[in-house]
Amino acid sequence: MKFIIDRFDGKKNYQQTYTVEKKDIEALTLLGTLLFIKQHLDLTLNFTASCRMAICGACGVRVNGHSYLACDTKMTELFEEYKDADTFRISPLSNYTVISDLAVDWEPAIENLRKVKPGLVAKDKFSEKEGCVQNQEEYDRIVGQWDCILCGVCASECNKLSADRSDYMEPFVYTHAWKVANDSRTKDPMIHVKPSVANGLWNCVHCHECTNRCPKHISAADDIAGLRALAMKKGLNSGVGPAHAKSFYTDLVEDSGRLNEIRLALRTEGVSTVLRAGTAVTLMSAGKMNPLEIFGGHEIEGHKDLVKMIEAAHAAHKE
Amino acid sequence: MQNEFAFFPGCVLTQAAIEAKMSLEAIAPVLGIKLKEINGWSCCGASQAQDVDPLATLVANARNLALAEKMNLPMLTTCSTCLLMLRRAKAQLDSGEKERINTFLAKGNMSYKGTSEVTSLLWVLAQNAELIKSKVQKPLSNLKVAVFYGCHSVRPGKDLGFESSVNPTSFETVIAALGAQVVPFTKRLDCCGFHAVYPAEKSVMKMTSGIVNSAAESKADCLVTPCPLCQMQIDIYQDDAQATTKSKARVPVLHLAQIVGLALGIPAKKLGLDYNVIDASKLG
Repeated sequence: MKFIIDRFDGKKNYQQTYTVEKKDIEALTLLGTLLFIKQHLDLTLNFTASCRMAICGACGVRVNGHSYLACDTKMTELFEEYKDADTFRISPLSNYTVISDLAVDWEPAIENLRKVKPGLVAKDKFSEKEGCVQNQEEYDRIVGQWDCILCGVCASECNKLSADRSDYMEPFVYTHAWKVANDSRTKDPMIHVKPSVANGLWNCVHCHECTNRCPKHISAADDIAGLRALAMKKGLNSGVGPAHAKSFYTDLVEDSGRLNEIRLALRTEGVSTVLRAGTAVTLMSAGKMNPLEIFGGHEIEGHKDLVKMIEAAHAAHKE
Repeated sequence: MQNEFAFFPGCVLTQAAIEAKMSLEAIAPVLGIKLKEINGWSCCGASQAQDVDPLATLVANARNLALAEKMNLPMLTTCSTCLLMLRRAKAQLDSGEKERINTFLAKGNMSYKGTSEVTSLLWVLAQNAELIKSKVQKPLSNLKVAVFYGCHSVRPGKDLGFESSVNPTSFETVIAALGAQVVPFTKRLDCCGFHAVYPAEKSVMKMTSGIVNSAAESKADCLVTPCPLCQMQIDIYQDDAQATTKSKARVPVLHLAQIVGLALGIPAKKLGLDYNVIDASKLG
C-alpha cells in the first residue's frame, strides 16, 4: 500500500510516495507506521513525536485531510474509517507554519495561550499553610479540560483559523481559558474571560471540527460557548456577537418562541443593519422575507408554559 | 420503513427557506412519508441561545422532545442545526439530566421520557435509497452535483452518530439513487460560516466563496445541501461572497428535497425553485 506524504525542505513543498507491505504496518499505530517509514525507507523524513502514549501531544498529523494524534490512532481504525483504502495522504497539521515535512511551528499558538493567562491565579484566602483545596464536584467540573495535551488537532481542523487567524485563537486556547475561569479556586474568572473576548471569542463559526477530532474528547466549541455565557453573565455583552446570540434567546423566551428573522438583523446590528438593505431587498424580491414580520410573529402554542419552565429552571439555579 | 414522523420544521423553514418546506411537502407523499408537524414547537436555540443561557436552551429542547413523545412518533427535521441541538439535548437528558429538567417541565404539566428518536431527512432518505430509486421518474443522469454536507449533518460524530464524520456516504448514496453524478468536491465537509456571518463576516464570506469556487472548479451544475442554513448562506450571500474574492463563478444551490423532487418528476414551481436566489431554473 501507498503513503503519500507532504514534505517541505525549508524552501519547497513536494509530495513523496512510500510503498509498504500492509502486513508490516497493520498491527501498528499511525506513529508506528511513520517510524517504520523513517527506519526502513527514508531517514530524512521529519516529524515530531515523544511519549508514544497520548500524553505529550507531539505527534498530531493529518490523514486524508483530517487530524489525528498519531500515537493514539491504530492503522486498523484508519482502514475501517476509510473503507480499506490502499493509499493514505499524510500531511502536517493545518493552520500552523510548517518547519520541515510534518513538523510545525508552535510558537504563535503558545503566544496565544499566554494571552489568556492559563495558569491558576488563586483566591487570596488560600495559603501555603492551609492549601488550595476544592471538593470533588468542583474538581469534576474541570477535570475534562485538564486532559488537554496541546496536540493542536483542534486548531488544525478549525475552519475559522483556516479563513483568517488574525482575529481568532486556537480552540484549545479557549479551552484552557474556560478551565481556569471555571476552577473554584480561581480568584477572578474575568482574568481569563476578558482576553478571550478581546481575542476572537465571538468569531467561532460553530463548525464543531474541534469537538469532533479532539483525541481527548474535549469540546472546545462547548468551552467557547461556556466562556461566552460567562462573559454575558458578567456584563461583558456589548458588540455584534453577544447581540446576535441574545436576539435568539429573546425570541425564544420573551417574544413568540420562534426566531424572527427581520428582528434578528435589527437586534444584532441596530441601525447599521441598513447597510444590509441589499440583502433584505434580495430576500423580499425572492419572496423569502415578509416585512410585516417586523411587528412580531404569532406566539407558539404553550409558550406561557415554556416561560414558566425556564423561570423554574432559573429559580432552581439561583438556589 | 418508518414512514410517519413528528415533524420539527425549525424556524428557517417558515421564513427564509420557505422553498425547503415546499419541496419537502411535495416529495413526502410521493415517497410515502407522513409528516405531522409538532404543535407548539419552539426555536431550538439555533446554536446561539446556549451562549446566553445553556439551561434555558436545554429546557426548551426537552419540551420540544416531550411534544414529539406525546405524538408517539420519532422526530424528523430537515435543519441540520436543529438536528444537532435536539440530539445533543436528548443525549444530555438521557445521560443523567432527565430528572432535574423534568422538575422544570412539570410547570407546564409535561415530562421527558426518552421514547422518541431524532432523525433527519438525509438519514431517512439514505436508509431508503432503493425506494427512492424505484420512484425516480426523471433520472438526473446529465446533472453534475457537488454535495455539501454542512457541519451539523455530521459533526460532532458522537452526537450525530449516523455515519463516519470524516468519511460520510449518506448524501452520495441519495444522489446516486437519483441517477445524478457526484463530482469530486474538496469542500464537501467544510463550514459555510453561517453561524458567524455577523461577528466574523470577512472570514465567512471567504469560506462561502471557497465552497462556490471549489464546486465550480469541479464543473458542478449545482451544489446541493441537506441543511437549509447552509443553503441560505451559500445562495443568498453568494454574490457578496464572490465579490470579496473577485470570483465570477456562480453555482445554483439546491435543498436536498428540491433535487429529490426534480428526480421524482415534480414540477419546479412546486419545489419552490423560483425562490432560490442564484438562478436554478435551468435545473428544473
